[in-house]
Amino acid sequence: MIEFSDVRKAYPDGTVALQSLSLTARAGEITVLVGPSGCGKTTTLRMVNRMVDPSSGTVRLDGVDVSTQDPPTLRRGIGYVIQNAGLFPHRTVLDNVATVPVLLGRRRAEARQAAGELLERVGLDPKVGGRYPSQLSGGQQQRVGVARALAGDAPVLLMDEPFSAVDPVVRADLQDELLRLQSELGRTILFVTHDIDEAIRLGDMVAVLRVGGTLAQFAPPADLLAAPADDFVAGFVGRDRGYRRLQFVGTGSLTLQDFPTTGDGWLLVVDDDGRPTGWRQGDEHVALGTVHAEGGSLRSALDAALSSPAGRGVAVDDDGRVLGGIEPEAVITLLHASSSPAPEAVR
Amino acid sequence: MFSSLIAWFGAPAQWSSASGIPVRLLQHLGYTALAVLVGAVIAVPVGLYIGHTDRGRFLVVGLANGLRALPELGVLVLFVLLLGLGLTPVTLALMLLAIPPLLAGTYAGISGVDPAAVDAARGVGMTERQVLFQVELPNALPLMVAGLRTATLQVVATATIAAFVSLGGLGRYIVDGQAQRDFTQMAGGAILVALLAIVLEVALQGLQRAVTPGARRARSGSRPPTPAVGTSDVVTAGG
Repeated sequence: MIEFSDVRKAYPDGTVALQSLSLTARAGEITVLVGPSGCGKTTTLRMVNRMVDPSSGTVRLDGVDVSTQDPPTLRRGIGYVIQNAGLFPHRTVLDNVATVPVLLGRRRAEARQAAGELLERVGLDPKVGGRYPSQLSGGQQQRVGVARALAGDAPVLLMDEPFSAVDPVVRADLQDELLRLQSELGRTILFVTHDIDEAIRLGDMVAVLRVGGTLAQFAPPADLLAAPADDFVAGFVGRDRGYRRLQFVGTGSLTLQDFPTTGDGWLLVVDDDGRPTGWRQGDEHVALGTVHAEGGSLRSALDAALSSPAGRGVAVDDDGRVLGGIEPEAVITLLHASSSPAPEAVR
Repeated sequence: MFSSLIAWFGAPAQWSSASGIPVRLLQHLGYTALAVLVGAVIAVPVGLYIGHTDRGRFLVVGLANGLRALPELGVLVLFVLLLGLGLTPVTLALMLLAIPPLLAGTYAGISGVDPAAVDAARGVGMTERQVLFQVELPNALPLMVAGLRTATLQVVATATIAAFVSLGGLGRYIVDGQAQRDFTQMAGGAILVALLAIVLEVALQGLQRAVTPGARRARSGSRPPTPAVGTSDVVTAGG
C-alpha cells in the first residue's frame, strides 16, 4: 500500500509541481495517475522511491515513511519502469534484467538464470537474453524494462509512462501483457500516463490530476466515465465516454432473441456444432463479423448488434455456439436498468 | 635527398648505438606516455566529477580553450627557468597539452550517456558510485579514448621540444640536424615522428573500437550476424 498524505512539492524557483496531494494506492491493485503534462503525476510517482523528495507531507510505503530510508536500499525493493525503458546499453539483456538481484548480492550466474525465466514471463524469446538493448525493437526493450523491474521480486512497481514511446498496436499488446502479468502476480502498481484510454484500460483506480498538481477525481474507471466530478474531468475523459462506459457494464440479464430460420431476410449460417459461420440473404453471403461472447461487456454486445447486417448481433457461449440474437434496444434497456454509480465511489 | 635519407636510415650505427633510432624512439615514447599519463591522472577524475554532477562545466570550456592557446615552447622555457633542466619541466609542459582533450573527452562521454539509463540506474537502487562506474563510465569509454587519441597525437608530435632542453627523443635529430645544417637528419627525424604518430593513431583507434559497448560484441567474433528477433511484439507467450 502506498499512502500520500498532504504531499507538496515546490521548487526553489517558486514552481509548484504538486499543490497538496492525499491519495492511497491499495495493495495488489493498479492505481493510475493521469493528467495533462505539468500536473505533477511523474513527480508524485518519483516520490515513492525518493527520486524526488517532497517539500512537505509524507509518503508511506506499507506504513513506513520512505523519508526515513536510505534511497538505494529503498529503491532496490521497488520495481521501476520508465519511458524508453532506460536499459543499460553496455549490458546484455540478461544482465540488464539481473541488475537488481546482483545489487542485492545474489550470485551472477543464479541471477542470470532467473532473468532468463523472467524474459519468458514478459513474452520474450529467451534467446534475446544474449543481445544488447540496441538490437531490440522499442516494444521489446520495454518488455525487458518490465522484466528488470520484476527481477527483484519487489511487491511494489512504479511505472512512469512505460508504453508512451511505442506505436499503438504494440502498446495495446504491452497493456494486455501487463494485465495478464498482474493477474498472476498481484503487485501494487503505481502507473503514470497522460493517456486517459490507457488509464481506463489498466487502472483499478484512476486519479485524475490537473495542472498545478491537485487531485480532480479519484475513482474506479467506470465511475470516472459515468460521473465525472467536474468539467475538467469530463473534458479530459473525452467525448465518447458514454460509449466507453459500456465496457464496464456486464450483460448478465441481457434479453436474447431467436434467429429466424426461414424467410427473405438475413439468415445466420451455422455449422453442425451450432457455431456461427456467416450471414446469408438469398445468394448473398456476408462474413460473420463481431460476435459477443457470453460474459463480455455491454460494449461488445452493442458492437455485435451494430455490426451485424441483420441488425441483430450474435451471442455465443464459451464453446462458440450460438446462444441467441442481441437487439440494440435490449442493450440500451439494460444500460438504463443498470444502477447509476454509487455516490461514495466518487471522491 | 632520397638516397641520402635511405643511407641515413640504413647506417648500421643508426640501429645499434646509444643515440640510434631505437633508443630515441623509446625515449620519445617514454616522454609521451609519461605526459599523457600524468595528464590523465589529473583530467580524468576531474572530467568524471564534472560529467557526473554537471558542476563546474565552465572549467572544461575555459581550460580547454585556455591551455590550447599556450605557446608550448614558451611554456617549456618557463618551466625550465623555474625548475631547472630535466624531465620534470618537459613532462609538465607536455601534460598541459594532454589535459584539454582528455578532460573534454571524459566530460563529454559522461554527460552524453543516455539520461534514461542513468535515471534507471539510480531508480533500481545503484549508489552514486555504482551509477558512475557501472553505467556512466563504461558508456563514456569510447569518447574518453577519443580524447586519449587526440591527447596522444598532440603530445607525440610536440615531444620533439624535449630536445631543445638537452633531453633525447626524436627531437634530437631535428634540433641537432638544424644546428649542423644536416637536413637529411632533420627530415629523418620528422619522418620518424610522423610514422610514430600514425602507428599510435591506428592502435588507439583499435582500442576505441574495442571499448564501444554492445555493438562490438554483436558485430565481431565467431557469432553469426544477428538475425531478426524471433518473437515479435504481437506474439505473447502463454497468452
